[in-house]
Amino acid sequence: MNKETIRFMLNGEQVEIYANPAKSLLHLLRDDLGLTGTKEGCGQGECGACTVLLDDVAVNSCLVPAGKISGHSVITIEALSKDGKPDFVQEAFVEKGAVQCGFCTPGMVMSAHALLRQNTDPSPEEVKTAISGNLCRCTGYKQIEEAILSAAEKLKS
Amino acid sequence: MMSYLRAESIEHALTLLKESASGAKIIAGGTDLFLQELPGHLIDIGFIGELKEIKEEKGQLHIGAALTHTLAANSKLIKDKATALAEASSLVGSPQIRNIGTLGGNVINAAPAADAAVALVALGAQAVLIDLEENIRCIPVDQLYSGFNCTSVDCSSEMLLKFIINTCEPGEGTAFVRFAARRALALPMANAAARIKITDGVISEAYLVAAPVKPAPTRLTETETLLHGEPAEESTWLKAELSAAGEVAVRGSLLRCSADYRKHLVGLMAGRALRTAASRAVERKEVR
Ligand SMILES: Cc1cc2nc3c(=O)[nH]c(=O)nc-3n(C[C@H](O)[C@H](O)[C@H](O)COP(=O)(O)OP(=O)(O)OC[C@H]3O[C@@H](n4cnc5c(N)ncnc54)[C@H](O)[C@@H]3O)c2cc1C
Ligand code: FES
Ligand code: FES
Repeated sequence: MNKETIRFMLNGEQVEIYANPAKSLLHLLRDDLGLTGTKEGCGQGECGACTVLLDDVAVNSCLVPAGKISGHSVITIEALSKDGKPDFVQEAFVEKGAVQCGFCTPGMVMSAHALLRQNTDPSPEEVKTAISGNLCRCTGYKQIEEAILSAAEKLKS
Repeated sequence: MMSYLRAESIEHALTLLKESASGAKIIAGGTDLFLQELPGHLIDIGFIGELKEIKEEKGQLHIGAALTHTLAANSKLIKDKATALAEASSLVGSPQIRNIGTLGGNVINAAPAADAAVALVALGAQAVLIDLEENIRCIPVDQLYSGFNCTSVDCSSEMLLKFIINTCEPGEGTAFVRFAARRALALPMANAAARIKITDGVISEAYLVAAPVKPAPTRLTETETLLHGEPAEESTWLKAELSAAGEVAVRGSLLRCSADYRKHLVGLMAGRALRTAASRAVERKEVR
């Protein structure tokens, strides 16, 4: 397998990495760039644990070939907290008890961000649709939905 | 040696395909391809602007092959003039899959019940393809299929450019429905799409497609014939449901459901698609 230089914007900064373009963005992030916040559940698009933003929309990083992101922007869960402080979505997840084992959480938070970037006043139904590609084995989803609605409230105030 | 090349235009994609020795393949969203064995060279067409355009010209919609399901589902033009396609795309996989998966990939991957493909066939869509010599061919979507998970398109030497659909005119309506174990991330046990024209309360044209019935989206021609000339009313939809369920020879599958249940679902889905398409046909008449 040969490698090539992949240049892209990662969490707002230009990065350059020499890697196999046929590996997944998920493995590029975790193995080559050391960003292990993005999780691998199924590796085939079914669970959403690996959700990141590609050009501001949610995608399953396990299904994106690393070669695809050249010249594009990727945002991962690591971009959110500032100086060790959770951002408003993460804060809402904590406040509403939307985290149990935490494995789905990075993906859920990124799907929430994707929604709130496009729609600052989502209905409960829109929240459900936004996280319909993310599986959670623990919480039963209710608290996650509440957390996202509460994050939207914070955005308004 | 593996290579990953990003095409910036249609011409660029063709040049890259020509330059790569055999073993190159087109990749759009990659949501199907990336889970399969990868070829030696990938030519990424997913970011080519021209392949994402939606245009209305002379009573026809031209819809780029690399349009994502999210963009198709949210397009005002598609929602208004080819409603079944917007509905089908809105129900594919999950938001993450819809954000990157494309209409062209949905058709070329040729899964038997690919949602957008089922809608495109019912809409009577034509596929426009270009080969390495820049010859263009135009072929109805249902004639692209050549077997199970297979189309006649060789993705190393031919590229799907766009789909052309006759826009829905007054008196016409379309609809897509599916039935699955969950509302997201679940294969449909059955799906159906209909395009129907109503003239003076009578059905003057009907296209009805269901899947998975055969390896490709399948027109239910017996039921289409039965509908022709019938009044657009409940008794007709009930007859159509029975006819649709009776006309298909389906197999059961462990992944989806038993054969009997699927037959029942095909009837049910056909009925739902027809009723919704018919009510839209009537609304469209009133609007104009
Ligand atoms: C978790 C998951 C859930 C899914 N759920 C659904 C679902 O509910 N319904 C559904 O219908 N599908 C579903 N899919 C399948 C898939 O997402 C869709 O079929 C999607 O539309 C494929 O598009 P793509 O751009 O990702 O295709 P790609 O993977 O990029 O390509 C698929 C094939 O088409 C060829 N190709 C692509 N574009 C062109 C072109 N312009 N010209 C020539 N060849 C081309 C490629 O060479 C490849 O052989 C799902 C997939 C996953 C992983
Ligand atoms: S790891 Fe990507 S969707 Fe499950
Ligand atoms: S908190 Fe455990 S999977 Fe969601």
